[in-house]
Amino acid sequence: MATKKIKTITDVPCPFCGTLCDDLEVDVQDNKVVEVRNACQIGTKKFFSSNPSKHRYEKPLIKDGDSYKEVSWDEAIDKAADILVKAKRPLLYGFSSTESEAQGKGVELAEILGSILDNTASVCHGPTLLAVQDVGVPSSTLGEIKNRADLVVFWGCNPVHAHPRHLSRYSEFVRGYFKKDGRHDRYIIVVDPRNTHTAQLADLHVQVKPDEDYELLNTLRAVLRGVELDAAEVSGVPMEDIKELVEKLKTCKFGIIFFGMGLTQSMSHHRNIDSAICLTRELNDHTKFLITAMRGHYNVSGANTVFTWNTGYPYSIDFSKGYPRYNPGEFSSCDLLIKDEIDASLIVASDPASNFPAASVKNMFKHPLIAIEPHETPTSAFADVILPPAIAGIECEGTAYRMDHVPLHLRKVKEAPGDCLTDREILQRLIEKVKEKKGE
Amino acid sequence: MAVIDLKLKKKPELPLEAESISPNKFAGKKAADIKKLPVYYGNEQLTIGDFFNVSGDGGEVDDIKINIDGDLSNIKRIGENMTGGEITIKGDVGMHVGSQMSGGKIFVNGNADDWAGAMLKGGELEINGDAGHYIGAAYRGYWKGMMNGVIKVKGKVGNESLSWVSGSKPGKRFPTLICGSAGSFLGIHSHGGTIIVEGDCDRCAGADQVRGTIVIKGKVSKILPSYKKIGEVKEIELMNGEIIKGKFTEYSGDHSVEKNHSKIDKKTEKVSNSSNGRLFVAA
Amino acid sequence: MSIEGLTLLTGRTINQGIALEGGKTSKENVRAAGICAIDIKDFKKLDCMVGTPVKITTDHGSVMVYSTISEEGPHPGIIFIPMGPWANQVVNPDSQSCGTPTFKGMKAKIEAVQNGKVLDALDLIKTLKEA
Repeated sequence: MATKKIKTITDVPCPFCGTLCDDLEVDVQDNKVVEVRNACQIGTKKFFSSNPSKHRYEKPLIKDGDSYKEVSWDEAIDKAADILVKAKRPLLYGFSSTESEAQGKGVELAEILGSILDNTASVCHGPTLLAVQDVGVPSSTLGEIKNRADLVVFWGCNPVHAHPRHLSRYSEFVRGYFKKDGRHDRYIIVVDPRNTHTAQLADLHVQVKPDEDYELLNTLRAVLRGVELDAAEVSGVPMEDIKELVEKLKTCKFGIIFFGMGLTQSMSHHRNIDSAICLTRELNDHTKFLITAMRGHYNVSGANTVFTWNTGYPYSIDFSKGYPRYNPGEFSSCDLLIKDEIDASLIVASDPASNFPAASVKNMFKHPLIAIEPHETPTSAFADVILPPAIAGIECEGTAYRMDHVPLHLRKVKEAPGDCLTDREILQRLIEKVKEKKGE
Repeated sequence: MAVIDLKLKKKPELPLEAESISPNKFAGKKAADIKKLPVYYGNEQLTIGDFFNVSGDGGEVDDIKINIDGDLSNIKRIGENMTGGEITIKGDVGMHVGSQMSGGKIFVNGNADDWAGAMLKGGELEINGDAGHYIGAAYRGYWKGMMNGVIKVKGKVGNESLSWVSGSKPGKRFPTLICGSAGSFLGIHSHGGTIIVEGDCDRCAGADQVRGTIVIKGKVSKILPSYKKIGEVKEIELMNGEIIKGKFTEYSGDHSVEKNHSKIDKKTEKVSNSSNGRLFVAA
Repeated sequence: MSIEGLTLLTGRTINQGIALEGGKTSKENVRAAGICAIDIKDFKKLDCMVGTPVKITTDHGSVMVYSTISEEGPHPGIIFIPMGPWANQVVNPDSQSCGTPTFKGMKAKIEAVQNGKVLDALDLIKTLKEA
């Protein structure tokens, strides 16, 4: 029996994390992924998990008692649109793991419904966006950092686990144009309460006490200004070490701070980032210094970008008055759900049941929920309507924005299984059905 | 005096956005017209009359006195943008009460939610209970928040109250907060605010303060390392000239911030490291 | 045995990332995200075998997870649960009105429970819905 030909697709961007590695090679045979080269373990797994399996939805489903029945797209879209139109305060959430045209459709649907529109930045780098709105952000593309940075600080992030190839492609081991000796041309500092695997590879680990990053950043800035302070120790770090750290930061040629959830998800949230950005800005009195957020999802930066060019705002947007308004804390998904203010949810390319605090999840499931989700997840397993999409970046082309806002074109390496439609098509059908029901 | 009484029929399940409840919006209107003013309930536009019983007619803005009865804890934006007149709320009230107000007085005889008195330009907001986060604060992305007026909170204010407050001695603007106790990051990015905490205050008070006065009469959980002790004082002169007597330790700060973010003295070529902000903690 | 006054952190791990892409309702996911990494000195105080279920309690709830020894120590006084539905039973849902819950820094207590039952993700959500 002749085996089917293996097709190799090169230069495939990986649809997992914000590093958006664009050098993957994927072998497809008989419309199944059979090998992935150059990806990290997680990216590889993502490609393989797109193959048909018992976890992968292939047909639209509607809840029927304790189980689900397969239905036609028309029936599923009709039921979903019905739920959304009847709601007084619906929530459209997710969008970070799909391509940007679909994100744009999400904005359109939210506007028509007068709903809340939110993306995963709400539980992740939302505080970063708040800080940037207050104090700006001196940053650059990852290429500049790869080629020039001689001092790299990882503050409250653990790329070995969360952005596995970041160190090899941009920040630590890679040989850059002006950094031909790779790792040996760079000094790596990790600031983290734990001696993480990233810290274990670094030249210096500053073991800050949990929740006390703000005080440390505040002290670094004052010491940088040449102020003699009274304290002998701040946040678990002795003052002599703080002064030495400031010297290292001042005397490098091109420094970069990469930061993550250690700063955004601890007490102080956006004020941590505010101070880190101000520190970076003030270091530019002495040398060249930049700061970049380690965005988690491969297209959350895109969700923020698309939402912003459409509405003026990056996340936690309210359309209930017919025009977009922005106020995280008032219009953010977790807070709205805890107050039980949401009466219906449409979850796109996201799994809030796994990633929201229990108090928010409990209330979310009290009301109808529609999931546009390729795999069985704790969110979709309890949804009222399941709409199966083609996986963007594997079964659907589109645009994704990397953590440094560089847009890259996602490839389609295979066809989606069963009756799956692309996210943008599903949302377009919902838009048309909602308009029809509203009599527009 | 034109007195208008509003009584909430039933606490709504979803928050109500009621910026139409203000002396400016009621001016010159009879009760029947006031009932027709719009309120927003989720994505539906309804009217004041759908949620409140209304009696009394409006007159001139400055003569209007609105009394509101009922559990208003999820009624938002009452008194927003008002320029005169009075509102008395007999219980708790929702977010944004008195936001962007420039004159008149609001009295809340209960607790207020987040953003009470946000971006205040004048007038007086008095809260007889606790208040949420961002009291008298700047809305997202604004680097000038409260510019004038007084906010008094008998109980506790939450985090980041009076963020980006912008006062001025030459401009005779003295935006002031007087509260029973305060959460963290009180007066963050303050540019000339006056804050008096009658009791205790949480960490990071006066973070990024460029100029202004913060007085804490109780205990501070932690003072920022970038604040430098100047000495002991027996009285404090506030920006508006008022004197507070008592034994306090005076600190200057926030020494981590430079207003222009890069101030290198042209003569000495050194980075300037003074600060015009002051923090006083009871000794 | 139990230990009080610990600080709980949550976050990504590569195993949790692999498991989530492979089926979030699978058994593999329980062993990737339904765990708690404990500093080796603290683990000795617990006086139990590695893998024994432990009950983590914070002001916001409690959850049963498998105990492991941290590979990212030393960090005495700190315990770590990977992000996911187990961690989310015990994180601080309050965002202090900034929009983002406080997933890190909770004060926690840990207790070894020999016959403790660690639920899989779906059962965990079912219990939450019924509560």
